[in-house]
Amino acid sequence: MDYSYFQINEQALEVVFPEQINVEENKLVQQVSQKLIEEETAGVTGVIPAYHTLTVNFDYDLTSFKLLEGQIDSLIASSSGEDMSVKKIVELPVCYDEEFGPDLEDVAEFASVSVEKLIKLHTGTDYFIFMMGFLPGFAYMGSVPEQIAMPRLKVPRKSIAPGSVGIAGAQTGMYPVESPGGWRLIGRTPIQLYDRNNPVLKYRSGDYVRFKAISKAEYYEIQKRDRAGDYTLKTITEGGNTND
Amino acid sequence: MTNIVKVIKPGLSTTIQDLGRARHQIEGFPESGAMDKFEYQLANLLVNNHKNDASLEFVMTGPTLKFECDSFIALTGGQMHAKLNGQRILKNRAIQVDAGSVLECGPMETGNYGYIAFSNGGVVTQPILDSRSTTLRTQMGGIQGRALIAGDNLPIRDSVIMQSLQSRKINWDVETSNFIRFVKGPHWQMFSDEAQKQFTQQSYHVSEQMDRMGYRLNGNPLPVPSKSLLSEGTVFGNIQITRDGSPIILLADRQTTGGYPVIGTVIKADWSKLVQMKINKDFHFIEVDMETAMNALVAHQKILNDNYEKWYQGRYVEPIGPLRRNSIKIERLIKNNL
Repeated sequence: MDYSYFQINEQALEVVFPEQINVEENKLVQQVSQKLIEEETAGVTGVIPAYHTLTVNFDYDLTSFKLLEGQIDSLIASSSGEDMSVKKIVELPVCYDEEFGPDLEDVAEFASVSVEKLIKLHTGTDYFIFMMGFLPGFAYMGSVPEQIAMPRLKVPRKSIAPGSVGIAGAQTGMYPVESPGGWRLIGRTPIQLYDRNNPVLKYRSGDYVRFKAISKAEYYEIQKRDRAGDYTLKTITEGGNTND
Repeated sequence: MTNIVKVIKPGLSTTIQDLGRARHQIEGFPESGAMDKFEYQLANLLVNNHKNDASLEFVMTGPTLKFECDSFIALTGGQMHAKLNGQRILKNRAIQVDAGSVLECGPMETGNYGYIAFSNGGVVTQPILDSRSTTLRTQMGGIQGRALIAGDNLPIRDSVIMQSLQSRKINWDVETSNFIRFVKGPHWQMFSDEAQKQFTQQSYHVSEQMDRMGYRLNGNPLPVPSKSLLSEGTVFGNIQITRDGSPIILLADRQTTGGYPVIGTVIKADWSKLVQMKINKDFHFIEVDMETAMNALVAHQKILNDNYEKWYQGRYVEPIGPLRRNSIKIERLIKNNL
C-alpha cells in the first residue's frame, strides 16, 4: 500500500494514502486508527480517520515522530494482511413517507422510477461509513446507486428535523440533530441518533448502514420504544472467511 | 465534600472547560477544551490542581460569583479589575476565598479569554465522554451544554489549606505579538508562489467572526488553488484558506474534518498569542521549521514547569498553608481580647 507521512505540527502527523474515495483503502485507515486508540499506543492522544488520511495527535513528552511512524508502519503492514471482507451492518428503520421525505417525489422523478422502486433502490445497498463529523453522529456514507444520486438542493432548507434521511449526489445520510441543510430528504428514522446527555453513537466509521423501510404505524411504535430505552438496533455481521 | 459556587452574573459567554475530548475525535466529536491552554494550565498550577481539572473560561467579560464554601482561586488571562468582596484582587496568584465571598471579574482590558481555577479539583460537573468541557454547538458537557446563566450552581470541593500560598504568584501577562509563527501545512505546495509570498508578506487581523470554533482573518484575498480536496482531519491552529481567499484558523470547537486547503499550522508556542489577539490588531505570519517550533514549545512550557518546581519545592517552607479554620478562631480570640 502506497502512503506517506506529513508532520502537521509539533504533536500531530498525518498518514496520507492516495486521494480517492475507496472502500478498501478507507477500511485500512479505519483499522489502523482503531488499533492506535484501542491498543493505547504510547503517547497517542487522539486520531481522526478521514477518506484517505489518518490524523494522529500525540504527546511529544511520551513519543516522537520517528517512533510513532515506525509503529504505524507495522500496524499498516499487519492490517494489510487481514481479512477486510467482514462487514458490520447496522440496520436502520426508515419511514419513506411524503410527510417525512418532502423530496421523495422529486428524487423518484429524477430517477424516472416510481416512489416504490426508489425505496427499493435506496434500501437495496449497504452504505459504508467513510468518516464521522460535521454534526454529532453525522456519518459520511456512500455510495447510492447512480440512478438516484440527485444533487443537493440549490437553496438549503433552514431547518431539518432530526432523523431525516437524505441524498446528496452519491452520498446518503441521516441528520442526527436539527440543522440547516441542502440534502434531498426522502424519509426519516424514528431512532434518536444523538442524545447530548448520553452521546454514545450507534455506528462508527468503518461500519455499514442498511436502511429498512417501515410503515408510519411502525415508525411511531419504534419511536415510542426507542425513547423508553426499549429498542435495540439490529446489527448484522456478514462476510469473512467462514463458509456458513 | 462537594459544595457550591453560585453564578450571580454569567459574563459574556462563560463556559466550563478542561483539556477537552481529543480521544473522541475518532467518533466525530469536536475536541473542545480551553482556548488558551497556557493561561488555563497556569490557573490550575497556581491553585495546585491537576492539569486537566475543569475551570471557568470567560470571554471579554467575566462572571460574578458567590462562594458558599471556602476555596482558593486563581484568575488568569487578560488584565481585569477583578474584585473580591469589593476589594481589588490581582490575577496570576492564588487567592484565599472564604465562604460567603463575592467575586466580580468584570471586563478584560487586554486579551480575549480569561480563566478562573478553583482549588481541590476545579468544577466537578458530570463528565461527558471523559471531559467536562462545554461544546456549545453540540450542546455537550458543562452545564446542559450551554454557557453559564445567572442562578447556576457550580459544584466545587471546599478547601481550607494551600501549600506555599504566599509564593503562588507569577509576574506574567497575556502574550501579545505582531507576528504569529507557523509550519507549512499539508497543502502548502498547492498554493502558487505568488500566494505563498503574499501570505507571509501581507498583514492580517482577526475579524469580528471569531469564536471557539475559529478566527476568520481579514487581509487581501489570496489566489486559491482550483483543485477541490477530500475532507481531512483537522488540528488546533490549522490555517485554512476558504474559497474567497481569506484564512480561517481552526480552534478548540472546530469540526473534526475539513475540506479547505490548509496552508499552514500555527506553532504551539504561539497558540496563546493567537487566541488572545485583539480584533483589528495587525500581525503577519512567519514560517518556521519543525525544529524551531519544537524548541519554542519546550521553552514556552518551561515557564510553567519552572514555577511548578518552585511551588512544589516550597511546600515545606513556613508558613505551611495555615489551617484556616483554626486561624480564624485564633484571630477572633485575639480581637475579643483587645
